[in-house]
Amino acid sequence: MHLTIPLFIPLAAGIVGLLLPRGLARWASLAGTLAVLGYSVAMIVDFDSATRGLQWVTNETWIDTLGIHYKLGVDGLNLFLILATAFLWVIATLYAAVREWDRPRLFYFNLGLAETAVLGAFLAQDLALFVVFFDLMLVPFYFLIGAWGRGNRVYATTKFVIYTLSGSLLMLAGAVALGVLSTPEGGQISFQLSDLTVHPVGHGTQVWIFLLFAAAFLIKAPAFPLHGWVPETYRATPIPVLILLSGILSKVGMYAFLRIVIPIMPGASATLQELMLVIAVVSILYGSVLAFSQDDARLVVAYSSIAQLGFILLGIFALDPKSAQGSVIQMLNHAVVVAGLFVIIGVIAARARESESLERLGGMALRAPVLAGLFLIVALATLAMPGSPNFVGEILILFGTFDEKFVYGLVASVGVVLAAVYMIRLYQRTMHNRAGPDVASSDLSYRLDLPALAPVALVLIALGLYPQFVLHRTEASTTPKIVRAAIKAGSDPGPQHAEATTVKGATP
Amino acid sequence: MSATTWGWLVLAFPLAGTILLPLGFKFWPGRLPGWIGSLTILLSFGASLGALFNIMGEHPEQRSHYDTLWTYASTAKFNAGLTILVDPLSVFMCLVVTGVSFLIHVYSISYMGGDRGYTRFFTYLNYFVFSMLLLVLGGNIVILIIGWAFVGAASYLLISFWYRRRTATAAGMKAFVINVIGDVGLVIAAFLLWNKTGALDWAGIFSGAKDAFSSNDGTLIAACLFLTMGAFAKSAQVPLHTWLPDAMEGPTPVSALIHAATMVTAGVYLVARTHPLYELAPTAADITAALATFTLLYAATCALAITDFKRIIAYSTISQIGYMMLGVATFGYQFGLFLLMAHAFFKALLFMGAGSVISAMGGEQNIDRMGGFRRAMPFTYITFTIGALALAGLPIFAGWLAKDGILGWTFHRGGWYIALGLVGYLTALLTAFYSFRMVFRVFFGEPVREAQLLEGGELVHGEHRNPLSGEEEDTDVGFPGPEHHIAEREATMKVAMSLLAVLSLAGGIVLIPGVTEWLQAFLEPTFSDSGFVGSHVPTGSEWLGLGVGAVAAAAGIAAAWFAYRARPGMTLELRDRFGRVHAFFFNRWYFDELFDVIFVRPTLAVARFFQRVIEPGVVQGVLVGGATGVVRLSTNFARSIQSGYLRAYAGLLVTGLFGLVLYFLIQSS
Amino acid sequence: MNLVWYLCLSAAIFSVGAAGVLIRRNPLVILLCLELMLNAGNLALITFARMHGNGDGQIFALVVMVVAACEVVVGLGVIVAMYRNRIAEDVDEMSELRG
Repeated sequence: MHLTIPLFIPLAAGIVGLLLPRGLARWASLAGTLAVLGYSVAMIVDFDSATRGLQWVTNETWIDTLGIHYKLGVDGLNLFLILATAFLWVIATLYAAVREWDRPRLFYFNLGLAETAVLGAFLAQDLALFVVFFDLMLVPFYFLIGAWGRGNRVYATTKFVIYTLSGSLLMLAGAVALGVLSTPEGGQISFQLSDLTVHPVGHGTQVWIFLLFAAAFLIKAPAFPLHGWVPETYRATPIPVLILLSGILSKVGMYAFLRIVIPIMPGASATLQELMLVIAVVSILYGSVLAFSQDDARLVVAYSSIAQLGFILLGIFALDPKSAQGSVIQMLNHAVVVAGLFVIIGVIAARARESESLERLGGMALRAPVLAGLFLIVALATLAMPGSPNFVGEILILFGTFDEKFVYGLVASVGVVLAAVYMIRLYQRTMHNRAGPDVASSDLSYRLDLPALAPVALVLIALGLYPQFVLHRTEASTTPKIVRAAIKAGSDPGPQHAEATTVKGATP
Repeated sequence: MSATTWGWLVLAFPLAGTILLPLGFKFWPGRLPGWIGSLTILLSFGASLGALFNIMGEHPEQRSHYDTLWTYASTAKFNAGLTILVDPLSVFMCLVVTGVSFLIHVYSISYMGGDRGYTRFFTYLNYFVFSMLLLVLGGNIVILIIGWAFVGAASYLLISFWYRRRTATAAGMKAFVINVIGDVGLVIAAFLLWNKTGALDWAGIFSGAKDAFSSNDGTLIAACLFLTMGAFAKSAQVPLHTWLPDAMEGPTPVSALIHAATMVTAGVYLVARTHPLYELAPTAADITAALATFTLLYAATCALAITDFKRIIAYSTISQIGYMMLGVATFGYQFGLFLLMAHAFFKALLFMGAGSVISAMGGEQNIDRMGGFRRAMPFTYITFTIGALALAGLPIFAGWLAKDGILGWTFHRGGWYIALGLVGYLTALLTAFYSFRMVFRVFFGEPVREAQLLEGGELVHGEHRNPLSGEEEDTDVGFPGPEHHIAEREATMKVAMSLLAVLSLAGGIVLIPGVTEWLQAFLEPTFSDSGFVGSHVPTGSEWLGLGVGAVAAAAGIAAAWFAYRARPGMTLELRDRFGRVHAFFFNRWYFDELFDVIFVRPTLAVARFFQRVIEPGVVQGVLVGGATGVVRLSTNFARSIQSGYLRAYAGLLVTGLFGLVLYFLIQSS
Repeated sequence: MNLVWYLCLSAAIFSVGAAGVLIRRNPLVILLCLELMLNAGNLALITFARMHGNGDGQIFALVVMVVAACEVVVGLGVIVAMYRNRIAEDVDEMSELRG
């Protein structure tokens, strides 16, 4: 397994698409995403779930004087996020490929570039490399939303870019500071995560660097109160791009908390745990409450994402092995359900004169029973009904949070109930009740819609039946990430994890 | 085959039906989906019998079998397999569930005959049975929670089955949300138990709890109360009961199956299943019993006043589940479960009869508009009356032996439980009264127009109008009324109702005090760890209790006869004289309004506050405005320098150059 | 002669050129003043080459001359085009580049 190959396949496919005739660009792009998906499935098959450290590491010196390495690696933490990325890109490309776009070659090139950037951020094991890919993500999305968006797209893109870029700049400052300050006396500067973990910086320094990173990741997530860019951007973004924006980009920040922030700055993570938990819980409640008072179907999903990411954040910062595991599986689940939800919204809008207003929708189940059935599966999974994969994530998150901070868990449980309210409301207002004024229903098209929607439903059912498939592979890598912070926060991660601390220092 | 193989088969058949039925929804001819759906449940019932015979052939000590298909979720001490537990309790529940479900499926084959969503209906119904069986067979608390939520989802889908009726979708939403509240309660309870015992499977929890908790330990009481919260949400006990009357928006077979016979009794099953915990935390059990007693009285008073046929039966269900809950929470498990079984029979029967009458009325559900169906619908009349007699608890009927068994047990427990028992007897009187209120109002008296037409052989089809909201029905998707089917004309409905009538009459045979105590003996292995297993009510006092119950039932029926037959109009006078009391009962003690004020409106107000103040003010204003404001200010400044005048640029250039030169000069000196 | 005087001369010519660029309004004169500044730079470069005793500065001066020639060509072309189109004799009347 060589990680550079999947990393650059999408970009290569995008460039090939630029050179092909207009009509063929989509198939080049689709082939690229399928190749990455195949590669990531092969990685899961080949993955050694007992190994704690990184697998298939690529480590080349990139910029020697600055100590920046081109270092890629996979462990249980990013294994399934890479799969989710590959899967969602296939879904988004499938959805896009059967529809017509202006300047298709450029569109698919941007999609490919975006996939490379996201994969890079997930694979990077060097802080500087991560920052490069993290900021590179913004470029294709800027064009995708700005050029192919709808409505007030220029305003929305500007807001999105400025807001997220200010976060990125803060993170850049933090990253540079971290690299410089953690360089031992007389030693060579290095941005490799493994080196940074071994040389922690002082506690006061950790705290402000932590805050810089947190700002960037929480804006990207988005979490309350840093979600200001969400409403306009979500409204303007075309559906296939929105799938990626909401499904994958939001996870990069969460992933980075587990990969970078908590292992490298355990002291600050413990100190600021309460702050992060408060943000998480408020995001859950605020997102849920707003989700059931929105009229725009997209915004219902947008605010529900804020709530769901609140759960993931809660699981991460409960600093408990169970809840961290729950967060990892929940990132995968949320990516899948969001893809399903946005495809469905696209399908609905296509049957309702492009209307996405709940006031003007309704009663579509009659003419679209297959759509209603698939939507039901996705909606129930989104509200984390027991039996769905999301339930496993949520129960692990809640168990871990109860274990460490009972009160936060109790408040978060309210979010579970509110999730039922907003998802059932969304389902009823589109599928049930009387047909709305805009509805001109027909069932989903087997050519246009089913290729994107059926895989989502199948993955949800499969994961719901056997979530251990994921948990089994992520466990060995997830726990060591939070152990040091958990000890600093005063919780006891259990004897079997205590030795993980000592091993952690030795892993490459 | 081993007992667990039978157990997996019990689950497999309804699941197969759930998957098979929707795949062919476009081409199933006629009533085939109904027959397929019924067949899967029959096979499942057969498998349950197989499990029964299998464990009966074993030593009583070894009748409990766990089997794991695969590891469901396991990480960091959290260890849950896809596990089933086959023991006498779960087999008993499987038999009741599959047996009653099969009959209701058979009834539905005709009753739902003309509906547009025929295949969808049987898919949901099969899905429900699968979920319910998963619930009762679940070998650990996680699988139980999954089944628990699945039945909630099935219930939601079936309540809003006629999804173009706003009343139905609103009722579905309410039921789903309250059920999720119950789910959350269960999850919290599961955590508290897991945290102390380190186990999620039943055997591990029970043995761990004995070591981890002292008697009446605070955490254990909390855990049990959260279990109670889950149980009450599912079983519609006060204060989480408001969804059940609204759930009557679903088709009548659904009300019979889910909201009377099976799903709502899941709470009783849960308490019985977790009895070792409640016995360790008697305070929690007492609170549960007290709330259940309140519920049974409360629901009976509501049933006295309201006029919607199906809702009366719904309140009687709430009341009867209160009895069951009282039984299991006072540790009289066999009595509670006995009533669960008997109630499944007669309540399903009552709903089927009600469905038949409502069909004859063309969809009308108000009993004020009914009357005199005795001659027009003799079969429905006879079977419904049998059901009502069983509900009232007249001797030899199953309801009598079961309910008065529970009350006798409370007297046997002594102490303040006697007060609960007294309330139970009082309610028994009310139960008999409202049961026969239905019989006398619907089947006796002057035949209404619909009944007269039916006597002439003509079945009325009512207006296409929702009786609750007055909304015009959407004829595209179906509603209770495009086609009507009454038991007199449909063979499958007749078969199902006759069998249930026989069971309501004779079902009590499984536990006649001092004569046949089969049920008790069968369930005993499950409850062998109970502190009350050896404590039997003396046969004499048990018969005394049964006698008192019989008298109460007879008195209630007599009172109903007096009020509705001997002196018709008396109830109207009473209503006028005690207008406030009537309004209080009629409005269900204003629980809906109370919750509206306490929960719904504040939540909506908070949502509005967020939407109108926080979102534009803080999130968009301060934070986004701040970030973009800084950018905008600095760009404005940079822009203002770009005057476009060549000499201004040159001037800046020169100034900059001089500045640099000066800087270096000062530096070097 | 002290080489410093060459530098002084260079500075003086540069100042004259710079002042011309800033003060005069006629684009042609501004271009001429720019040439003055460039040549002042050349003088300084050659002086420094002499001071350090190697040829680097002279080569640099040659490069600057080439650049200056190119600049004059382009600059004159632009000025001629301007005269043709608008006949503006005042740079202050042109502000198309305003931000």
